[in-house]
Amino acid sequence: MNELFDRVVLPIASEDDAKATARAISSHEVGHILAVHVVEKAGGAPDKAGVEQREEAAEEAFGVLKAYFGEDADLDTDIRYDTDVADAIFAAADDFDASSIVITPRGGSRWIQLLTGDVALSLVTETDRPVVVLPDAARPDGGGESVDGPADDAADGAGGPERE
Amino acid sequence: MSDEDLAKDLGPLAALTIGVGTMIGAGIFVLPGVAIEEAGSLAVAAFVIGGVIALFTAMSASELGTAMPRSGGAYFYVNHALGPLFGSVAGWANWLGLAFASAFYMYGFGDYMSQIVGIEGTFGVGPVQITAVKLIALGGAAFFTMVNYVGAKETGKLQNVIVVILVAILTVFTIFGSLRADPANLPPSNGYGPMMLTTGLIFVSYLGFVQITSVAEEIKEPGKNLPRAVIGSVLIVTTIYALVLLIMSAAVPEGFVAQVSAQGETAVVEVGRQIQGTIMAGALLFGGLLATASSANASILASSRINFAMGRDNIVTPKLNEIHDRFATPYRAIGITGLLILVFIITADLRLLSSIGSALHLIIYGLLNIALIVMRTADPDEYQPDYTVPLYPIVPIVGTLSSFGLLYFIGGTAKAVSAALVVGAMVWYVFYARTRTEKQGILSEYILERSEEMPEPAVSAAAGVAPDGGDYRVMVPLANPEHEKDLITLASALAKAHDGTLVATHIVTVPDQTALASARERAHDIDATSRELLDRARENAETFGVDVETHTIVSHRGFEEIFDAARTHDADQVVMGWGEDAHGSPGRAESAIDEMTGDLPCDFLVLRDRGFDTERVLVPTAGGPDSDLSAEIATILRNEFGADVTLLYVADDGESAAGADFLAGWADRHDLGDADLRVETGDVEAAIESAASDATMVVIGATEEGLLQRLVGGSVVMDIVDDVDCSVLLAEKRTERSLRQRLFGNQ
Repeated sequence: MNELFDRVVLPIASEDDAKATARAISSHEVGHILAVHVVEKAGGAPDKAGVEQREEAAEEAFGVLKAYFGEDADLDTDIRYDTDVADAIFAAADDFDASSIVITPRGGSRWIQLLTGDVALSLVTETDRPVVVLPDAARPDGGGESVDGPADDAADGAGGPERE
Repeated sequence: MSDEDLAKDLGPLAALTIGVGTMIGAGIFVLPGVAIEEAGSLAVAAFVIGGVIALFTAMSASELGTAMPRSGGAYFYVNHALGPLFGSVAGWANWLGLAFASAFYMYGFGDYMSQIVGIEGTFGVGPVQITAVKLIALGGAAFFTMVNYVGAKETGKLQNVIVVILVAILTVFTIFGSLRADPANLPPSNGYGPMMLTTGLIFVSYLGFVQITSVAEEIKEPGKNLPRAVIGSVLIVTTIYALVLLIMSAAVPEGFVAQVSAQGETAVVEVGRQIQGTIMAGALLFGGLLATASSANASILASSRINFAMGRDNIVTPKLNEIHDRFATPYRAIGITGLLILVFIITADLRLLSSIGSALHLIIYGLLNIALIVMRTADPDEYQPDYTVPLYPIVPIVGTLSSFGLLYFIGGTAKAVSAALVVGAMVWYVFYARTRTEKQGILSEYILERSEEMPEPAVSAAAGVAPDGGDYRVMVPLANPEHEKDLITLASALAKAHDGTLVATHIVTVPDQTALASARERAHDIDATSRELLDRARENAETFGVDVETHTIVSHRGFEEIFDAARTHDADQVVMGWGEDAHGSPGRAESAIDEMTGDLPCDFLVLRDRGFDTERVLVPTAGGPDSDLSAEIATILRNEFGADVTLLYVADDGESAAGADFLAGWADRHDLGDADLRVETGDVEAAIESAASDATMVVIGATEEGLLQRLVGGSVVMDIVDDVDCSVLLAEKRTERSLRQRLFGNQ
C-alpha cells in the first residue's frame, strides 16, 4: 500500500459526492478511512438549512460509503460544524493524524464555484499535509476517456473494415 | 468547544433580530395608514391588543421551545403534543401562513420600490394588466427565493444590521415626532368594533416571534436565550408599534393620514416628511424597503424549516427535504414556497394577504397554547422545560381563547379561505399522511393509556385518528400462558413476513363486581404476571428479529376487548388462541360478539393449539377471500419453517377433473404451484378430516357466514376443529364494509 493512503480523510459533501468519491478510491488500496462532512455554519445567523436536516443528509451520504465499502472496512465518520469548510477538514485531518486528504473534484461552472465557494481550491492551497486529487471516473472532465470511450469504440468498430 | 456548541451558534441578539426583523417590516411600514383610517385614535390600542395576545402565546411558545429545541418550531410542538391530525393543520397553516405573509411583505416592498424609482401605474397587454407594485412584488419574491435557493450565508448577518438600522430610524422618528405631538390632533375614536377588526387585520405584524422557535435547535443556550428572544421581541415591537402609531396620530393634523393614504402615498413616510422633512422621508422609504425585504427573507427561510420537520414526520413527502448537491440548501422546499408566494401575489390583494396570514397564525397560536396544556397535563418524563410560563394554567387558557377569539374579527373572505385550508389540511391527513406518518401525539397516548377512565367518545376519537404509519402490525392477545409461546411464534413469523411489528397485549379480565380502579390498585400482582408474560413474549419474538410492542389492558370484558384493542392499536392482523380456557367464556356476550364479528377490524387468525408443528400443512380451499388469506399464511409457514403444503379441494361426485383444474389454477395464482394437490369427492367434512390425519396443521379459511360468529355463538359447530387431532388455524379476512354499511348497518 502506498503510505499516502495509510490514514486518509475523505471530505464528503453530499450523497452524489460520496458515490463519486467511493468510485474513485475503490481502485486503490487504502488503510483507515475517516469520512468527514462539514456543516457550514453562518456564524451567528440562521443557517441555509437546519442543522438536523444537514445531519440527516450527512448520515445518508455516509450510508453510501458504508454500503460501498462494506461492513468490514476500516471506516469512521465525523460531522464537523464550522464557518469555513476547508478549516474544518484540516482540523479533522489533524485530529485523525491523517497521511493524506483525498478529494474528487466536483466540477461545475465558474458560476457554481463562485456561488458555493471553491472548497477544493482552499484545500489544495492552504494545506499542511498531502492532498490527493482522484479523478471521478464517471465524469468527462474528471476521468477523461471513460464517458467518451464507448462512443469512440463504436465509431472505430464501424470504421475498422474500411481502414483495413 | 464541543460540537454541540459549534452547531448552536445563534446568540441572543441574532435570535432576537429574527423575531424583530420579521415583525417590524409589516407593522410599521405597511399597515399603520390603514389602521388609523379604520380605528381612528384606537389604532394604537389595536396594535397593543395584538401585542398582548401575542405575548400570551409567546410565553407558551417559549416553554415548549426550551423543552424541545427542535427544527420546525410551532409545527413540531403541536404535532408532538396533539398528534399528526393537528400537526398537519399546524404545519400547513404555518407554511402557507408564511407564504401569504411573505406575499404581503413583498407587496409592501413593491410599494416602497415603486416610490423610490418613481414607476407607477399599470402595465400589460390586452386583458392582462398588472400594477407596477405587483410587478415589483413578483420580482422581489423571485429574487429572495433565489437568494435562499442558492443560500448566501451573508444574508443572515445582514439581517442583524438591518434590524439595528430600522430601530435607529424609528427611534429618531419617535423622538422628533414627540416634540410635535399635540393631543388635539388625535382623530376621534371609531369605536371598539372597528378597533377589533383592525386588530384582526394588523395581527400579521405579530408573526415573527414564533419563527424564532423554528430555528430553536441553532440557538446557543436555548434554555436562557430562547425565551428572552421570543418574549423580548414581542415586547420590543409592541412598544415600537405603539409609539410610532401614537406619533402618526398626534404629530400631524387630524385627517392627514387618511388624506395621504387616499393619494396612494405611504402614511409613515408622509408623516415623516411632514414633521422632519425630506431626509426623514428618505430614511423611512429606505427603511421600509429593508424592513419588508428582511421580513420576507426570514419568512422564506423559516418556512423551509417547517417543511423539513413535516417531511421528517411524513406529513408531506420527505422528498421535499432533499438538500442541494452544491448549494447545501433545501432547494425543493424553498422553490415550492417561492412559487406559492408568486401565486398569492398575483391572486390576492394586500388586505386579503395580511388577513389570511393573520388568521392562519392565530390558528397555530391557539393550538400552541393547547399543546402546552397537554404537555403539562400528560407530563411525560422527557418534558423538562427550562422556562415555565407564569400563572399556569391562566396564561395558556387566555392565550388559546384570545387567539381563537380574534379569528372572529378576521374579514369574511380571509376567514373562508383559512377555514378551507384547515379543512384541507385535515383531509390531507386522512387521505395522505395518516398511512405514512408514524408519530402519535402525547395527547392520544395519554387518552389511550387511560382508556377506561376517559369518556368513550374521547377514546374512540383518539383511536380513530391515530396514525398507522403503513407499519404492518400483528397483535397477539395473550391470556393463557400455556399456548402463549406457539402464538408468539406464529405471530412473529407473520410480522416478519410483512416486515412489521408484533404487538403483544395481555388482557387481564376482572369480574364485573371488581371496579377497574381497585383492580388497578392491585396492579402489583397484575403487573408482575403481566411483565413476566410480556417479557417472555418479547424474548420469543426477538429471536425472529421483529419489533415488539407490549401493552397490558385491564378490562371486564375478555373477548370483546380483543376487538377494541385491535382497533386501538391499529392491528392489521390478530393472532389469538382458541380453547376451553382462552379469553373467558364467550357465550356470555353472544349478542355483542355477533355485532362485532360482523365488522372485523382486521384479519383474524384463530389457533386451536394441539402442539405447534408446521411440518405438513393442509390447506382445504373452495376459493374466496378467506382462503386467499389461508394461502398467504401457508406461504409464510413454508418460507419461515419449511412446511410441506398440501392443498385440498373437495369436488362434487364425478367432477374430479374440473376440481383438479380449479385447484391447479388456484395454486398458481397464490404462488403455491409446487404444493401437493389433492382432490377428493364426497362429504366435505369427512374428506377434510381424513386428509388431516396426515397433516400436522390445518389452515382453513372461514366461510361467508363468518367464522367467529359460528365459533363463538355455538350455533353451528365447526366439527372439524374439534374432530381432527392436529392444530387448526382458522383464517378470516377483515370485512371491507362501505361507509354506508358502517353507518346504517348491513340491511
